[in-house]
Amino acid sequence: MADPRKAGSAGDRPDLLTAILFVGFGALGLWAGRDLTMGTAAAMGPGYLPRIVCWLLILVGLTVGGIGLFRAREDIALPQLRPISVILLSVVGFAFIANYFGFVVASVWLLVVGSLADRDSRWREVILLTAGLTVFGALVFIVGLGVQMPIWPF
Amino acid sequence: MEFLDLLMLGFSEALTPTNLGFCLLGALLGTLIGVLPGIGPTATIAVLLPITFYLPPLAGIIMLAGIYYGAQYGGSTTAILVNLPGEASSVVTAIDGYRMAQKGKAGSALAVAALGSFFAGTVATFGIAVAGPMLSSFALSFGPAEYVSLMIFGLLAATVLARGPVLKAIGMILFGLLFGMVGIDASSGEERLTFNAIELFDGIDFVVIAIGVFGFTEIIENLENVEGRGVLVSKLSRLWPTREDFRQAWPAVLRGTGVGTFLGILPGGGATLSSFCAYSLEKKVSRNPEEFGDGAVAGVAGPEAANNAGAQSSFIPLLTLGIPSNNMMAMMLSAFIIHGITPGPTVLQTQPEIFWGLVASMWVGNLMLVIINLPLIGIWVKLLTVPYRLLYPAILLFCCVGVYSINNRVFDVVLAAGFGFLGYLFRKAKCEPGPLLLGFVLGPLLETNLRRAMVLSHGSPSVFFERPISLALLLATVAMFILMVLPSFRRTREVAFQEEEA
Repeated sequence: MADPRKAGSAGDRPDLLTAILFVGFGALGLWAGRDLTMGTAAAMGPGYLPRIVCWLLILVGLTVGGIGLFRAREDIALPQLRPISVILLSVVGFAFIANYFGFVVASVWLLVVGSLADRDSRWREVILLTAGLTVFGALVFIVGLGVQMPIWPF
Repeated sequence: MEFLDLLMLGFSEALTPTNLGFCLLGALLGTLIGVLPGIGPTATIAVLLPITFYLPPLAGIIMLAGIYYGAQYGGSTTAILVNLPGEASSVVTAIDGYRMAQKGKAGSALAVAALGSFFAGTVATFGIAVAGPMLSSFALSFGPAEYVSLMIFGLLAATVLARGPVLKAIGMILFGLLFGMVGIDASSGEERLTFNAIELFDGIDFVVIAIGVFGFTEIIENLENVEGRGVLVSKLSRLWPTREDFRQAWPAVLRGTGVGTFLGILPGGGATLSSFCAYSLEKKVSRNPEEFGDGAVAGVAGPEAANNAGAQSSFIPLLTLGIPSNNMMAMMLSAFIIHGITPGPTVLQTQPEIFWGLVASMWVGNLMLVIINLPLIGIWVKLLTVPYRLLYPAILLFCCVGVYSINNRVFDVVLAAGFGFLGYLFRKAKCEPGPLLLGFVLGPLLETNLRRAMVLSHGSPSVFFERPISLALLLATVAMFILMVLPSFRRTREVAFQEEEA
């Protein structure tokens, strides 16, 4: 990881990222709600509060970013691609596979692919764990609790 | 006496075999996740929320509550034995508890922590039983204007008392409010902020956000931080504290209980804040403050009592006013809502068995926890050796199935993954996601009441200043902000949280 405080160049990077997120979502909200009726204070329309909240969010974002610009430099902890991409991929994959092929295939996908997120994973453990958790999940969630998901693809 | 009758009603509810069983299950699960670093009570409850739908209302709520206070017990075990606080609230316990363990007094430290927690839990339970009916009869006189002021006060107080920069926390609340507005507007029937996705017309489900931001993000975060795995367990000695330890511990337990019970009620308070404040209080009143950091019994007893008392008394605003004070209570609120119960003053009158059953079960649960934790300590310590690579796939599966089961559709799972990514960005931006949940659950309540208040006053905001309770709450909010700007208060606040961030 990079040295969190380097002398010289200014700017608190986490704060700047915060500003981007706040302003970005505020603007997105304003855009998504552009057609909503505003109404009056006595009879608020559906667009009244969303607009206020979005503008406040933008305002807070700008303030955080503005202050962050003049603070001592602080870097964002370096993101690692492997955990985030593998975990998100395995979850989204689980969702689509569950829809078409049922719980067992989806669960095996989730656990095997998900295990790749950790470099320490060992194949023998992954196989045993996947088998155990899939059986457990099918019995407890689908048979026991009645979650509406087919177990098998057919 | 009516009070005793109601408490008896509570115990008769809490002691039914089903409720007793789920209380034990909650306490066990709580201890388990408290011991295991990397899984917090917030993520666990988020995962289990959809499952409680299949249980009777009281049993589900008892189990979730058990997880919350059980985690306080479990967290202190690892803090003392391996210097690895399982939960944020036991960070200070590790300072003196681990030193005690190194000096061969691990058993004594564990016993002081467990017994202190039990005492504090008992007092806080009675606190809820006494304060609940009083506060809720007061709350029955609240109109929409009072509720709006109360929520604004609660939300802003939560940002001041929670850790991290206040502005970012306010931004996160706004984020939560915004997400809460997605879906069909209750009064006009118009859909808003849905991007024309039919799946979003009913709004975003609380569980989707909670599992995304806490469940998935926590897994990713833990996988990034490889350090801190692998632990050394110090040896256990005799379990019962010496007479000298007792003498030093009990006043600290009393003070910790007081601090925790009080701070738990405040918005944003709860277990973590209570234990930090109790530690600094003990350090201040102690005759030999130099002992702190080097195995002072009071440094374990005070914070441990406080975090348990705080965990429990934070139920008070939720149960009596219907306003959650921290993100754990936001979870509990949605657990109630899953069963069609809106917590608040009316529940106490229409469904007294829910309130009193929960209160009684907390005491029963605390008793169970002492038994679970003290004699069975060896089992929990063994669990510490389970590596994270075997744990997280299980958590991942529970998260996915949990999200899917709310509406039985894959859309929610994909949406939760999206929130996982957003949560990841928030971590990188050093924004605490807790206030987001708070804003999300309170958003619809705030909007409904604000609209009502404004309709009644014909659009004049003066209604908030004309009603005395509302005015008092708004003045308190302003006072808090002035405090925040004062440099001396800011310093104290930073000091209070610095140990946690280290």
